[in-house]
Amino acid sequence: MDHLKINSWRRRRFLRIAGTATACGVLTSCARENSPWRFLTTAEGRTLDAICEQIIPTDQTPGAAWAGVVNFIDRQLMGPYRRQQTAYRSGLREIDQAAVSKFGKDFAALDTGQQTALLQALEGGAKRFFSTVIAHTMQGYYGDPRHGGNRDAVSWRMLGVPVIPIRGRNRYEFPKQGAR
Amino acid sequence: MTRKLLRGALLGAAVIAVLAVPAGSLYYEYKADASCARCHEIRKNYNAWHASSHREVACGACHGEITTLDAGFHLGNVRRLVQHVRQGFADPVRLGTKDIPRLMERCRSCHRQEFAQWQTGAHSATYRRLFLDAPHNRQRLLMDDCLRCHGMHFEGGIGDLVAPLDAKGPWRLLRPELADQPAIPCLTCHQVHREGELLPRAARPVEKSAAQSAAKSASQQELLRPSVGLFDRREQKHFSVELLPLPAMRDGTRAVKISPDIRQALCYQCHAPLAGGLAGSGDDRTPVGVHEGLSCLACHLKHGQQTRASCANCHPQLSNCGLDVEKMDTTFVSTASRHNIHVVKCADCHPKGIPRKRTDRAGNRVR
Amino acid sequence: MAFKHVNAVIVGAGAGGGVAAKELAAGGLSVVLLERGKWYSAADCRKDDLRNQRTSPLGNNSGPDEARNPRVVVDLNGQERVVLPSEGGYSNNAGCVGGGTLTYGAQAWRFQEKDFRMATTYGVPEGSTLSDWPISYAELEPYYEKAEYEIGVSGDVSTDPFHGPRRKPLPMPPLPVGREHTILKPAAQRLGLHPFDIPMLRNSVPYGGRPPCMQCRWCVGFVCEVNAKCGTQNTSIPAALATGNCELRTGCMAREVLTDARGRATGVAYYDADDRLCEQTADIVIVSSAAVESARLLLNSKSQMYPAGLGNRYGWVGRNFQGHSYSGAWGLFDFETYDDIGPGASIAVCDYNHGNPGLIGGAMLANEFIRLPYQFVSVAPPGVAQWGRGHKDFMRQWYRRSIAIQGPTQEIPIADSRVEVDAKVKDFWGLPVARLSGGKHPKTMETSAAMTDKAEAWLKAAGAIRTWKKLSGKGTSGGQHQAGTCRMGDDPRVSVVDKYCRVHDHDNLYVIDGSVHVTNGGFNPALTIMAIAYYAAERIVKGRKGRGV
Repeated sequence: MDHLKINSWRRRRFLRIAGTATACGVLTSCARENSPWRFLTTAEGRTLDAICEQIIPTDQTPGAAWAGVVNFIDRQLMGPYRRQQTAYRSGLREIDQAAVSKFGKDFAALDTGQQTALLQALEGGAKRFFSTVIAHTMQGYYGDPRHGGNRDAVSWRMLGVPVIPIRGRNRYEFPKQGAR
Repeated sequence: MTRKLLRGALLGAAVIAVLAVPAGSLYYEYKADASCARCHEIRKNYNAWHASSHREVACGACHGEITTLDAGFHLGNVRRLVQHVRQGFADPVRLGTKDIPRLMERCRSCHRQEFAQWQTGAHSATYRRLFLDAPHNRQRLLMDDCLRCHGMHFEGGIGDLVAPLDAKGPWRLLRPELADQPAIPCLTCHQVHREGELLPRAARPVEKSAAQSAAKSASQQELLRPSVGLFDRREQKHFSVELLPLPAMRDGTRAVKISPDIRQALCYQCHAPLAGGLAGSGDDRTPVGVHEGLSCLACHLKHGQQTRASCANCHPQLSNCGLDVEKMDTTFVSTASRHNIHVVKCADCHPKGIPRKRTDRAGNRVR
Repeated sequence: MAFKHVNAVIVGAGAGGGVAAKELAAGGLSVVLLERGKWYSAADCRKDDLRNQRTSPLGNNSGPDEARNPRVVVDLNGQERVVLPSEGGYSNNAGCVGGGTLTYGAQAWRFQEKDFRMATTYGVPEGSTLSDWPISYAELEPYYEKAEYEIGVSGDVSTDPFHGPRRKPLPMPPLPVGREHTILKPAAQRLGLHPFDIPMLRNSVPYGGRPPCMQCRWCVGFVCEVNAKCGTQNTSIPAALATGNCELRTGCMAREVLTDARGRATGVAYYDADDRLCEQTADIVIVSSAAVESARLLLNSKSQMYPAGLGNRYGWVGRNFQGHSYSGAWGLFDFETYDDIGPGASIAVCDYNHGNPGLIGGAMLANEFIRLPYQFVSVAPPGVAQWGRGHKDFMRQWYRRSIAIQGPTQEIPIADSRVEVDAKVKDFWGLPVARLSGGKHPKTMETSAAMTDKAEAWLKAAGAIRTWKKLSGKGTSGGQHQAGTCRMGDDPRVSVVDKYCRVHDHDNLYVIDGSVHVTNGGFNPALTIMAIAYYAAERIVKGRKGRGV
């Protein structure tokens, strides 16, 4: 048992150091990358923003783009959504390619009607990817502002939900002095 | 053997890390403040600052200059760098318990008058005053929910702050260095990084209803500072006062009229009624009776909360009844008194019925 | 690593283990309580709509650890996949001190008398393993009462004519009611039903040294911000520790129950918080890890003598896996129903738990817990767009004008709904993970469908202008109500534990949690788990005293 323990300790420590070294590399490279996002490229961010805005459009209240849903998704792609990084990379590429082959322009450059038509016509892998984006957009738009979306609690205010409810303290007064 | 190598590598990394901090900071200084935003986790804060009324105050003025000899400052930066490299940082970065005192000093350096007012008021209470108050602690349970309004920047639970959590005591702070720190600092009600124009161009009426504000001339309107917002402990971020709700209050079954002054939304977060919105429940102080409809800030000073001489704002000399209002009842501050200023009703002094107002023919009040 | 020998070691500090630890420690036994998770306090309440035990797209808030605890789930088509705790199908309850009671909705139901005699009442439908309990409601009644008073229950069941006889009323009055309650109550009365205030393990007044509920909207799935929710983490477990006889060890993952050459349990092998393999020997071993993990631990405790795991001579460990077939309906109203006052669920009827013609069992029906904005996204009825303008309009128009009524339809147990250990997939510690498979009995689905009709009728009577049904899926349920995998019975050939929760074949090995439920009632099971823990633990303490220990 003991040797196992030490091995695992060494392994973990090695992994930690190796991780730090890799991250250092990432750090230097991130200075070169000019994207405003953590995971997405500038172009991917633009495409995703347009898709999210289709999912929750702006009408009398702001839609997904203003609410910062891309910021939310981008942040989660470095955390809980990490396993979906490749799906995003290829899914966004696929949708842009579909836009180019159908209308000769990137998805973000299409007009609203074209975008809607394109998303409704998606099939196979692209359709599955789109349903993932729908789920994530709902989380980013209706979830807590702390995760980078739902800017200024815009969706909660739209629904009429108090951003922070007004609740007085229910004090606990001890039954009699000194008692517990 | 491996261990030696590892140790060497670690030491090397440490040296590089230590050197990287001032080097990095100098680089940023050289490139002016915009380069701060190169790190993802501070970009959001940077952008907010860049649009805020504090945009003419450089980063270093609040966050410390690179030339400082304060070891804590540099160690903090090393910690942040390590976190950044490991991607273990909070995104976006936020203030911790430790950052508060230094920031308070920065606020004070410009906003002297407001700071002085706050210092004389109840909201400047320290952790010692709030959490080691023996009469309170003997009577009421110390619980995590206290931290919602007191010590909202404290990182941890009540069990990490005070011991023992019982009615017997003696109580002590588990973080003694906080004893003389304010538990409700400037950042409770103000956000420094906040979009907004420099005043007075940002002048916005404090009242929501256009009809209400039209009634007063622009010069009478108080200005709503864009920085006014509540720090919510759960979300770990500020919410502008315009986003916060004003409650629907009731007195029994009757709906209570409350002032449309939206700055009150801030007060209501802590001086709040229980679920259901009954006036006077919980910590609520909504005025009902003769003062119904007045804003908290009609009487209370913004930073000091004192009400001294505030009666004179509305009662040039005397009350409706012809009594000197500042002397009419000495129990008006007692929450238990029916003459408490928040609840006093005409009927409290006129149990047999309220006399009609006496006016002369021209409609002027007579005594 | 070995520790001082103790009288009892308990695996799992949830509803069952927490109560058992307190009873044993108070009875003078030395106890070690092992818990794989952490001990959270009200300060850990982050009110995060996307990260909690009920809605977990960004993870759970009280365990188990996402990276270390996978499971294998086999769907109705035989497709298997590896799932993580925050993902659908995992049947997660919790991994923390207090277990599910830290974050539950806290409904505090007693099962009805007939719930203990399901086979006698209804016969045994083909393809099911429906059976009576070896104990009756009357035998459990004093322990229900003890749970209600020691842990704390608010509510008022006096207008519910269907509950079993009880000696005392609930210790706390119900919370002030919200708008949904005032809408639904007269409607139920017009239908001839018997509505009443749901009993809740939640303070409505100061009780047990803790303050009352503040009625916020973050309730089920969350740690209570004001510590008003009563779970074992703030009642039984602190009481157990206060006796000085109980030691709580957190971060400890049980590996197996150890047995000697004669087949007696000798203790538990586990990995501690630093992942060191430790051993705790004890006179008595109690497994209280909830239906999935308790079964898994017994199945993973293999030896030459017990090649199929402990208590599994006849292959019953892990079978009859069940939760509830949650079904009901949604209604939309042309007036506001939302008042932002929690916990939301407050009014129930028990008119449909039994006596539904042609059906087996039924469900208590109640209004649903207050909904968070994100939770409302998946509510949309058929025909409403999943995205775009139609979606946004639906949210905006109906969020504050809707009510849900649901009920936990009692499941008819089947042998093929089961927990096994997977042959290939291992967890972080190298232990075979739980493998969940099976589905629901057709009779369960029939009853569920009938419950959706009843829920819909109630909503219509309350003035709903549009209603639609939500029927449970046909797959295994489990989840936070998981039960049945070590069923209680007198015949060792068709059950795992005897009527005192003792594993047949092992006179010092017990299972005390929802696993022992023969059937799971048409109710949330937490109070029953606690009552059984009081009942079984009392027997253990008395048994030892009888032997002069």
